[in-house]
Amino acid sequence: MTEQPNDETKPAEADAPAAPAHRGPPIVVAEEKLSERGEETAFMLAQTLGSLVMESAGREDTPWALVDAKDLHAACEKCRDGELNTDMLNVLLAVDWVEKIQVVYVLYSTSNNRKVILRADLPAGSPSVASVTDLWEAAGWFERETHDLFGVAFPGNDDMEPLLLYDGFEGFPGLKSYPLHDYEEW
Amino acid sequence: MSTQPPLETVDMMLNMGPQHPATHGVFRMVLTIDGEKVVDVRPHIGYLHRGSERLAETESYGQVVTLFDRMDYIANLNNELAFVRAGERMMEVEAPERAQYIRVILAELNRVASHLLFIGTYAIDLGAMTPVMYTFRERERIQNLFEHVTGARMMHNYMRIGGVKEDVPDDFVPWVRRLIGEVRTGVEESDRLLSFNEVFLGRTRGVGVIDAAMAVSCGLSGPSLRGSGVAYDVRKDDPYEVYPYLNYKVPVGENGDCWDRYYLRVLECYESLSMIEQCLDQMREGPIMVTGRRIARPPAGQVYVQSENPRGDIGVYLVSDGTDKPYRVKVRPPSFCNLVGLRPMMRDAYIADAVAILGSLDIVLGEVDR
Amino acid sequence: MAVEGESREQALPLFVPQAWDREKGGRFFHTSEEGDESLGKGNRPALNRVPGAVPGVITAKLDDLLAMGRSNSLWTLTFGLACCAIEMISAHMAHHDFDRFGIVTWPSPRQSDVMIVAGTVVKKMADPIRLLYEQMPDPKWVIAMGTCATSGGPYYKSYSVVMGVDHIVPVDIYVPGCPPRPEALMDGFMKLQSKIKSDARNRQVDDLSAPVVSPKAEKDTDDGTA
Repeated sequence: MTEQPNDETKPAEADAPAAPAHRGPPIVVAEEKLSERGEETAFMLAQTLGSLVMESAGREDTPWALVDAKDLHAACEKCRDGELNTDMLNVLLAVDWVEKIQVVYVLYSTSNNRKVILRADLPAGSPSVASVTDLWEAAGWFERETHDLFGVAFPGNDDMEPLLLYDGFEGFPGLKSYPLHDYEEW
Repeated sequence: MSTQPPLETVDMMLNMGPQHPATHGVFRMVLTIDGEKVVDVRPHIGYLHRGSERLAETESYGQVVTLFDRMDYIANLNNELAFVRAGERMMEVEAPERAQYIRVILAELNRVASHLLFIGTYAIDLGAMTPVMYTFRERERIQNLFEHVTGARMMHNYMRIGGVKEDVPDDFVPWVRRLIGEVRTGVEESDRLLSFNEVFLGRTRGVGVIDAAMAVSCGLSGPSLRGSGVAYDVRKDDPYEVYPYLNYKVPVGENGDCWDRYYLRVLECYESLSMIEQCLDQMREGPIMVTGRRIARPPAGQVYVQSENPRGDIGVYLVSDGTDKPYRVKVRPPSFCNLVGLRPMMRDAYIADAVAILGSLDIVLGEVDR
Repeated sequence: MAVEGESREQALPLFVPQAWDREKGGRFFHTSEEGDESLGKGNRPALNRVPGAVPGVITAKLDDLLAMGRSNSLWTLTFGLACCAIEMISAHMAHHDFDRFGIVTWPSPRQSDVMIVAGTVVKKMADPIRLLYEQMPDPKWVIAMGTCATSGGPYYKSYSVVMGVDHIVPVDIYVPGCPPRPEALMDGFMKLQSKIKSDARNRQVDDLSAPVVSPKAEKDTDDGTA
C-alpha cells in the first residue's frame, strides 16, 4: 500500500472495492473541511491561542490545533479562561504513531456549546507533558489511564497508581510495539 | 481528669471489595471512615479491563461493533450507535432515513430498558426488593422485541456503518405500539411505588450533593450532570440521526442530590416512550443500508463523535490509516467520567449513603474498564 | 490528593492463598503435585465418615438424601463480573424464576454453595476469585457461565484476560453462550443437580491419607466396571 498524502480525491469515488485484496487499494486521505460553525470556533481558537498554534485544521464543527508539548498547559489554561470558556475536559487520549506519541485533548464548553481539540506530539522514548489536573478534576483519571497504557508521564499529577492494569504489569499495552499476540495462556 | 492522656483515634479503612452485592460489578472502593462518617473514598477499577481498545485495532470495522456491544452491556444498541456514527462520519456517508428511524427507536427502547434496570437495582441497593422484580418484567418485554428484530436478547450486533443489518419484521410497528403501552404502565408502577415514598426520599434527598461547577470540572455527563442543573444533552446540543425531527424535553434537576439523579431517569423513560411513538408515526418505507459498500475502508483521518448513552455522553475517537482495520479506537466512557465525581459527592456521607451515592451514578463496569 | 493511611494500604499485600501458585500455571484438574495437600480435593462433596462403621444399604440412602437436599437448595454467590451477570440476574427474576429450584443468591461466600463465574476473568481479578473460592466451605461447586469464563471468549487474544476461569478454580459445569440465555443457565443448573446426585451414588470410600490422582489415571487402575 503506498501513501498518497496529497491525494485530493473525494472519498466517494475511491471507495468502490475494485482492487483485489492482495494488492490493496491506495490509501485515501480525508480532506478536512469545517462547517460554518466550525469556522467560527476555529477563529475563536486562533485568537485565543495566538502564536502557540503550530498547525491547525478541523472537520465538521470541531477545529483542532497542534501545539508544542511545553505549551500545552498554557494553551489549555487559555482555552479555559478565555473567550472559549471550555469548562469541561471531555477526553484526554494518546495515539501511538510509532516515531512519536500524540496526546489529544478534547475540550468542551457548556456555556457556548463549542468543542475544540488540542494536540501535542511527544517523543516516543520518554513521553512527558505537564499535567492539567489543576485545571480540570477529570484529568486525573485520564492521565492515569494514559500512563498505564502508553507510558506517558504527567509531572504535576501526584497520584499515578495503575488504574486499569494490575500492580506489576510489565510493558505498556497501548503501544504498537507491545506483543499483543504473544499471550500466555494462564 | 487532667492527668488522662488524650484519646487517640485512627480512621478505619473499610474495603467494599470487588465482590459486593451493591457495587454493580467488579468495583472496589476503599472508604476511610471516622465512626460512621466517610472521610475519604478511593475507587479502584480495572478488574474488568479486557483490552477492547487494543483488540479493536486487530479487527475490521464490522467486528468492532461486537466489542462495543460488550462495553456498556446494558445499553448495547446505544453503544453500537455511537460507534457506527463515528464510522459514518469517517466515511462521510449518512445512513438512509428508514435506517435512522429504526436506530433511534431501538436506541430509545434500550434507554428505557437501561433506566428500568437502574430503577430496580437502585431500589434493591437501598433495601427495597420488590421493584426489581417489576422492572425486570418490563425489561423482559423489551428484550423479547429485541430478539424478534435483531435475533439476540443482549448482544445484538445489529447496526452497521451505513445502516442496519436487515430490515425490521412486518409486525414491528404494531408490536412496538403495544409494547410502549405495556412498558409505560410498568414504569408508572415502579414510579408510583418508589419516587415519592417517604423512606426513599429520606435515603436519597440531600445525599451526595454535587454543585454544577464541580460537576462540569469532573467531566460528568448525562443524568448525573443534569441533576446538578446543567442542561447538557448531546441529543439537543449536537443533534444527530432523526432527533431534530422529534419533539421532546430533557429533564434537568435542581439540587444535585441522589433523588434528582434518580427521578431524571424516570422522567427520561416517559420522554423516550413518547419519542418512540413519534418515530413510528414518521417512519416510511425505504432502504436500510447505504448502497455500494461492502468493506468499510474509510479514508485516513481522525474523528471524534459524541452520542447520548443512558449514562451520559459517550465519545468515540476513531483514527483511521486508510486500511480496513481502525488504527486507534478510544472510547470516552460516561461511567468512567462519572466515577470521578464520586469523591466530591461522598463528602459528609454516612456508610449507608455510600451505597446510595454509588448507585445513583449508575455505572457499568464493562464501560469503565473497557 | 494522597489519602492519609495510603502507605498503610499499600504495605499490606493482597492475600494470595498458598495453594495457588501463579508460576506453575495454576491448573487444578491435574491435582496433587509434590504434596499440595489442599489442592487435591477438587470439587468432591464433603466426605461422610459413616461408611466405615455401618453397612452399605443405610449409607447409600443417606448419601442420596444428602445429595437430594444439596441439589435442591443451591445457594449461589452473587458474583457477576460482566455482561453475563445481567442474564444471570434475569434468570433469578420473575420471568425465569430460579427461586422455584431453591436457588437464591447470597452475597457472602461463607454461606454459599455454588459460585457462578459470570463474565470475563481478568488477571487483576484472579486473586480475588481464588480468595472467594477458598472462603466457600465444602461442598462447593463452580459454574463457568459464558464463553469468557469458559475459555476467554471474544477477548481471547487480549493481554489482560485469563483464558477461562478453570485456570484459577476447578469448574464443574460450563455453560456456553455470549451471553447464555437464562434458559441455558437453567439447563446448566439441571446438569449440576444431576451431577451432585450421581456423585453421591458413585462414591467410593476415600482414604484421606492416600494421594488423589486424576480421574484418567483412576480409570486405568479400575477393574473395568467404570
